[in-house]
Amino acid sequence: MATKKKRIPNMQNDSWVVIAADSAIETQKQDSDPAFVRLRNPVTDAASLYMLRSGDVQLFEVKAFEEDFHSWFVGQTVQRDGRLLFVTPMDPLYLMLPYLVKAGKEGKFQPVDQVVMDEDFPACSRLLSCTRSLSSLHHIAEEKEVGGLKFHRYSQEKTMNWLKKKVERMDTVLKARNISVGEGVKSTTYIRVKSESDYHPEDYLRYAHGMISEYLSEDLSKALLKHLQLPELTSPKEPEPPSKKRKLSELPVEAEEDYTKFNSADFARKPPKKMTSAQKSLAKVDKTGMKSMSSFFSPKVKAEKK
Amino acid sequence: MSCNSSVTWVNVSSVGQAQRVQLHLLPCEIEHNGPAQVSQYLTATIKDCKLEKTVSFRGRGLKGQELICPQGYTGLVLKETNKPGSDQEDRTVKVASVFDKLIYWNLETPPNSDDTVVMAMDWPDLAEAIHGPVED
Repeated sequence: MATKKKRIPNMQNDSWVVIAADSAIETQKQDSDPAFVRLRNPVTDAASLYMLRSGDVQLFEVKAFEEDFHSWFVGQTVQRDGRLLFVTPMDPLYLMLPYLVKAGKEGKFQPVDQVVMDEDFPACSRLLSCTRSLSSLHHIAEEKEVGGLKFHRYSQEKTMNWLKKKVERMDTVLKARNISVGEGVKSTTYIRVKSESDYHPEDYLRYAHGMISEYLSEDLSKALLKHLQLPELTSPKEPEPPSKKRKLSELPVEAEEDYTKFNSADFARKPPKKMTSAQKSLAKVDKTGMKSMSSFFSPKVKAEKK
Repeated sequence: MSCNSSVTWVNVSSVGQAQRVQLHLLPCEIEHNGPAQVSQYLTATIKDCKLEKTVSFRGRGLKGQELICPQGYTGLVLKETNKPGSDQEDRTVKVASVFDKLIYWNLETPPNSDDTVVMAMDWPDLAEAIHGPVED
């Protein structure tokens, strides 16, 4: 039907439609304006956008839902950028985990403020100020107290148990919400179903594992699969179209970012989707230092998985 | 020094002065940012039926539905009014307007629960399952 019209990149964007948790924007507290910060994404190892609010420090995830060819009417104005951003509370442990895993390789107990630090992402040490962080560190690390000082060492066993609880809770929510998990990991369609009898319980568990894996390194994701006693699917039986490629297959998956495309074919399994070509070109523009507003919510750097 | 150190502040106190606006999510991309006579040419001709709203936009029939923001969540339109000269500087956005519901429009297809934006409204609940604190 329509011939492919070349789209001009949206460079003049200075407005965003956001649905934010009330806890992110409540105004009672003084001097606690929230701020969008860049932190290391545990999956891509590159920058992603999060929100931190000081005072009672809380971390929020910023996720963009996007379909191709959408725009907004906001009051009496047009906003070309048709994305809908969500700001939802996030568990800071997911972002701290990579640092602890890395330090854990040395095998010794260390003060956590020497572990969770990152030259490239200065805001990272603020994660430790999150109200939830220190009180939940024991889920992923062993603790030792010497002379009033606390030292931590990453524990794979504890982490696996913690993640398993996460997966099990997700599993319950998926079932309760009648979210279609398709057959095995093949279907990526996120639709509601009338009967869940069509699905094997393992399908839900695998799906839940996939959703938690959105926040884990590939190694941890695989270890968790083993811990859940789910067999690893090495290769899909039928070739899948690229848009349906799953992370659980052995194929390397393109780095995922939060501020990217979103469509129904991929939502539940992979809320953060691959970049559209327009975003890719914007990301490229971005790297040259010509920082455009429209790339603000787009991934800064597209890192290849090592 | 990397530009990862600059942050974007959200001036939340501006929520107080923010106007409540009507939002429409359109099934097309409009390559423009700026004023438009939305109430005159769109809102005025919306027909409210039982299950859906209908309107004609540029000669195409749109079918739409109202969506309410998830509980515990507020809709905001953030705007950057003063852009800094370099990417090393902190930036500030203010809350230009707020909303608690929006209307999304499909081209031809009647709105249904499998529409992407309807499912997006489920995200806060799913996120809660992923990020809520875990019992010991």
